[in-house]
Parts: sequence; structure tokens; C-alpha cells
Amino acid sequence: MEMGWRWDFAIEILPGMLLATLNTILAAGVGYAIALVVGLLFLVGQRTPFKFVNIINREIVEFIRSTPLLIQLFFVYFVLPQFGITLSAWVCGMITIGLHFGTYLSEVYRGALEGVPKSQWEACRALNFSTIYTYRRIVLPQAFPIAIPGMGNYLVGIFKDTPLLSTIGVAELFHAATAVGGYHYRYLEPYTLVGIIFLTLSIPAAMWVRKLERDVNISQGKIKK
Amino acid sequence: MRKIYKTLTVLFVLLFSISTVNAKTLTERLADGHKLRLGFGTAVPWAYAGDNGEALGFVNMIALTVLEEMGITEHETKVFEWSGLIPGLNADRSDMITGGMYILKSRCANIDFSDPIGVFGDAMLVPKGNPKGIYNYEDIKRTGAKLVTGAGFNTVEAAKKYGVPESQMLLVEGEVGILAAMKAGRADAAVQTWFGGKEHEEKTNGQFEVTDPSKMPKETMNVVGIGFRKGDDKFREAFNAALAKVMGSPKMMERAGKYGYTKAQLLTDPSMTTEWACSTK
Amino acid sequence: MSYFAFLEEHGVTLLLGSVTTIKVLICSIILYVIISMIFGLMRISKNKVIQGIATGYIEFFRGTSLLVQLFWFYYVLPFFGLSLEAFWAGVISLGMNFGAYGAEIVRGGILAVPKGQWEAAHALNFSPAKRIKNIIIPQIFPIILPPAANLTVELLKATALVALVTVVDLTFEAKQINSITWLSAQAFGSALLIYYFMARFALVPFLRWLEVLAARKVGKEHL
Repeated sequence: MEMGWRWDFAIEILPGMLLATLNTILAAGVGYAIALVVGLLFLVGQRTPFKFVNIINREIVEFIRSTPLLIQLFFVYFVLPQFGITLSAWVCGMITIGLHFGTYLSEVYRGALEGVPKSQWEACRALNFSTIYTYRRIVLPQAFPIAIPGMGNYLVGIFKDTPLLSTIGVAELFHAATAVGGYHYRYLEPYTLVGIIFLTLSIPAAMWVRKLERDVNISQGKIKK
Repeated sequence: MRKIYKTLTVLFVLLFSISTVNAKTLTERLADGHKLRLGFGTAVPWAYAGDNGEALGFVNMIALTVLEEMGITEHETKVFEWSGLIPGLNADRSDMITGGMYILKSRCANIDFSDPIGVFGDAMLVPKGNPKGIYNYEDIKRTGAKLVTGAGFNTVEAAKKYGVPESQMLLVEGEVGILAAMKAGRADAAVQTWFGGKEHEEKTNGQFEVTDPSKMPKETMNVVGIGFRKGDDKFREAFNAALAKVMGSPKMMERAGKYGYTKAQLLTDPSMTTEWACSTK
Repeated sequence: MSYFAFLEEHGVTLLLGSVTTIKVLICSIILYVIISMIFGLMRISKNKVIQGIATGYIEFFRGTSLLVQLFWFYYVLPFFGLSLEAFWAGVISLGMNFGAYGAEIVRGGILAVPKGQWEAAHALNFSPAKRIKNIIIPQIFPIILPPAANLTVELLKATALVALVTVVDLTFEAKQINSITWLSAQAFGSALLIYYFMARFALVPFLRWLEVLAARKVGKEHL
């Protein structure tokens, strides 16, 4: 086996890998969308006045947050069919990512809500605003900017965790690299290309998140423009 | 501050002195006391690891019998994802591949194989009763069925060769992935070695059945060899010499027989050599 | 078979795997702490070159997926002359990856030390090295420990990935048991429980204790 880098091989496999990258982006996007919703559910569970729900919610969130995403993926992929629930690998992956990152996002939401000054809540009560109006017009608009950096960071995080989906057979970028590497028995070019593609995508994304962070801090008056 | 620098330097020196890629051949390293590392995947009954990491499966049994004949009694085992076996061997992660690898032209370009340890065929794994009547690649194409197999398996090349479109292929990780996909109904049929299929049939108590390997294209009858790095020729030749002595012996048949290896797998056609497989398969 | 019977048969294997997980964790923690300190300090250096190198390192390791780095270290690096044992390949890629995140935390901690401290040290004629070592660094601990604690729990979860490069840890054993017995719920469920216990009832309390210790040393503890 040739030890040196082979440009011809790299160019040969590049189109297939770029195509698989689309799958990765799709997976990250869908997983993130699910996580956003799940995060809200966990948040509601945390803030509800029913003590029992609070406790159950907290235990579930702690459990998911403290255990590896990889094992959660295996669990959903292998165990559910044994109970008659057969889902495609893709759906299994989306559910698991949604649940896993949903727990992180619920913490981001919580932090954002707590970042809204208590005086705002009190003023709303004093002015007799309904709960819905309070949230909709006063609290959420103030909480949202605080949440953005965290939400942005986890979007990048999900994107970088998509390779784990390859372990359950989802045909994203890393899976494509392993498949083509396994087919030609060379891992050098496939894995290096994967690394480069990831860098190309996540560095701009990370810079964009940092810009968002800056903008939020400016709008909050924390730093001067 | 100085203490930190000192410890760091020691750490780095230690790390880098552990190894740089070894220019020595396998024979030389074994003489130095290096323990032989068997590399395989999780493919029951071919080769898999036991609870304590011991080498199980008939390919491992044959390999170990040959090694004993060579006077090598100690070994280590390394379990890889199937597609990582050859890259792992070449990256010095193992010393021989006992996965149960078919000798194929594309593989021979990257590693060397021992003399064949037997003749084996592929088969389809289908739900009980074979509702879609699938026996080979043509049937897959005809029925538009979803075919699952392992990444890096010889069957990926074979399916491509017989024209199964990529849209009908599902690639998963090894035997485990194949059975998981079948059980979850993510594929209509799986293609794998006949032994692998038989194991799955037994494991699922007949929920799935393995088809007749003779209904597969003739060319899918393949020979299996033990994989070695190119450059470890001396060791490979010694291995081949010992293999010739051990092949078909009562001891080997008994040990390999525990995992299902029978006389039917023994090589009867002397023209089926490694060179032949490397150039024609 | 009942769960109890499962544990009887496979419990020891899983526990032995956990021991390897813990070994990987401890080694990676040591490495990532060292790297965080070094690159965190480099990041705030006035020297453009040093700062550039640190930024490049951090962006690179934070910008690529850990799994990709791990596979690269394991399968590709040997061709550039460096062939480490799977265990060390895992530890090093974990350490380097988390070191990049840790460096940012360290940087944040250093920047959060009141400017007065720097000025006082300067006024008292401390050399820059002594200033950093004796005044600034001890004060960053209460600040960096909470985010570092989160990062360390992430590290524990990340160790699961080394199973994919042949390291025989808890995840590896769970996969093996699953592939032989197909008792997926028991195998992976037990693994989940063990990780959970390790994180929630061992790692986190230990890190909280460190936080208290650090706060006490700097005199910030509430009596």
C-alpha cells in the first residue's frame, strides 16, 4: 500500500463526500430543530408548579445529560426494535440527538429566563398583565438575545457530533468516509478530507456565533460598540 | 515553573520513545519479545472475542493451531470495526488479520495473504419463507428490494459488480449491524457469508433463513486467507509452511469444528491458490 | 434471562471495562489540564506569534469533530511516523481536543482577575513569570472550576468514543455483550447506568469539593 498522499484518490472520492456532507448538514439541522422543541418541553417541566413533574423532569434531564450520546444512540437503535418499534437509523439518530441536546438547550433557556431582571416580572404583575402577555411581550424578547450564544454554540456542537450517527449506519459524511475507506482499504485521504470539510464548515459557523455573542453583549450594554 | 518544564519534557520523551513506526519485520519483532497481535472483527462463527478478550471462532482456531506449530504460544487480540481491519494492519495496529477475509484482488493490492484456509460461499439472509423469493443479486435488482451488508465486506464489491444500484444498498457495521437492520425491518435481505447467515438463522431461531449458496453466482465462491502486512514475507512463509502441516489435521478440524468448520470447507482444488485468487477475484 | 442473571454473567466484564474508562479519563484529565494552562496563557500573551499559534491550535481542535480527530490519530498518524497504543492515541486526542476548550476557560479566568492584582504585582517588582505563577494563577481557580467541571463531565462522556478504536472500555464491553447475546436493553442500559453513577455520584461531587477547596484557599469561601 502506498504510504504517500494520493491526490488522484482524494479527487476521486471528493464528490461523493461532498454529497454526504449535505446529509450531515441536514441531520444537524433536523436534530437541532427537534432539540429546540424538546428543550422547551424540558423547560416547561422544570417550571411547572407540580412538584412531582419537577422531580421526574429533573431526573430525566440529569440522566440524559450525564450519559454518553454514543450509548444513547446504541440504546435507541438496538432496543426499540426489540419492543416492536422499528425506525430507520436516521429517525433513531434524530430522536436521540433531539433528546440529548434538548437537555442542554433547556438549560440555556433557563439561564436566559433567569437573566431577565426580576423587576421586569414584578412590574408585569403590578400592571396586571396576563401570563401569556408577560411572556410574549416582555420576558421572551429580553430572554431571547441572552439565549442566542448558547443556542448557537449547541448548533455547532450538534454538527460536530453528527459523525457519531455513522456508528448506527446513518449515511452522513463520516460514514461515507469509512465506507469508501473500507472499500479501497485506505483511510488517509478519506479521513483527512473529512477533517478539512469539517474545519471549513465549523470555523465560519463558530465565528458567526461569536459575532452573535458580541452583538448581544452590545445590545445589552455590556460592551461598547 | 522549572518543575513543570521538567515533567513535560520527561512526558514527551517517554511518549515519543514508546514507538515510532517500526521498521523491523514481524519475525524480528517477535524475536525481540513483541507479542503477536491477532486482528479481527465481531463475526460469529468466523472470529470474535470472548468475555476476556480471548480469540474465538474457527479462523482464530486455525490460526492459533498454526502458530502453536510455529512455536508461538503467546498472543494478544484486538477487535476492530470490520472496515478498519486492513488500515489497522497497515498502521501497525495488529500483526495478522483473522477476520475471515476473502482473498480479493483489491485486498491483495494492500496486504498479503497466507495460503487459503478453506473455500467459502456467500448467501442471502431473508425473512422466514423468503417472501420475495430472493436468492442472488439478480433477484435483488428485479424486486427492487433493499439489501443490507457490512461496510468493507467483499459483498459490497460483488453487489456493485452485479449491478445492484446504490439506492438499494444499506451499509452497516459488521455482522451485528446486519442482523440489527434485518430485525428492525430496515432491509428486505442481507448478503453475507454463508456461515454468517447460518449463525443468524440459528440465533433468531429461524425468524430469518439463509438461502442456498449455490444459487449465488459461481464467482462468489471464495477462498479465505490470513492477512499479513506486505514486508512480513519471512513470517508469512513460515506461517504457510506450518499451515500446510496443520491443514486438515485432526487437531485443527476438532478445534475449528467447534465453530462449524467441516470437511466441506477444505480446499480440494489445488489450483485455488492465493496467487490465483489475487489475480482473478 | 432476568436482569439479575444478566448482571451475574456479565457484570464483571462491564466493571472491568469501567476501570479502563476511568484510566482513560484520569490520563486525559491530566493532559487536558496541562494543555489548557499552557494554551490559555499563550492566548493572552502580548507576543503576536505565540498568540497566533495558540489561537490556531484552539480553532483547529474546536472546529473539528472529536471522532474524526480520534480516528485520524489512530489510523492516519502512524504513516507520519507516530504509532501509539490505542489507549494513548485515545488519551492524546481527548486531551488535545478538550485542552482547546479548556484553554478558552483558562483565558476567561485570567481575564476575570481584577486588574488591581496585576498592577499591585507590577508595583511590587514581581517578574512577569512570578506574577503569573504566584498571584494570578491561584486566583483563577474559583472562577474556572465551575465551567471546567462541566467540561470534565463532557470528557467522561467523550471517553466512550475510544471504544471505536479498539480500546476495551465500558462502551466496548457493552457493544461486545450486545453482539454476542443481543440483550441490548440490558447491555446498553447497564452501561448508561454505570456512566450515570460515575458522573453524578463520583465525578461531580469530587469537582464540587475542588471548588470549595479553591474558594477557601483564595479566601472567598462563605463562612
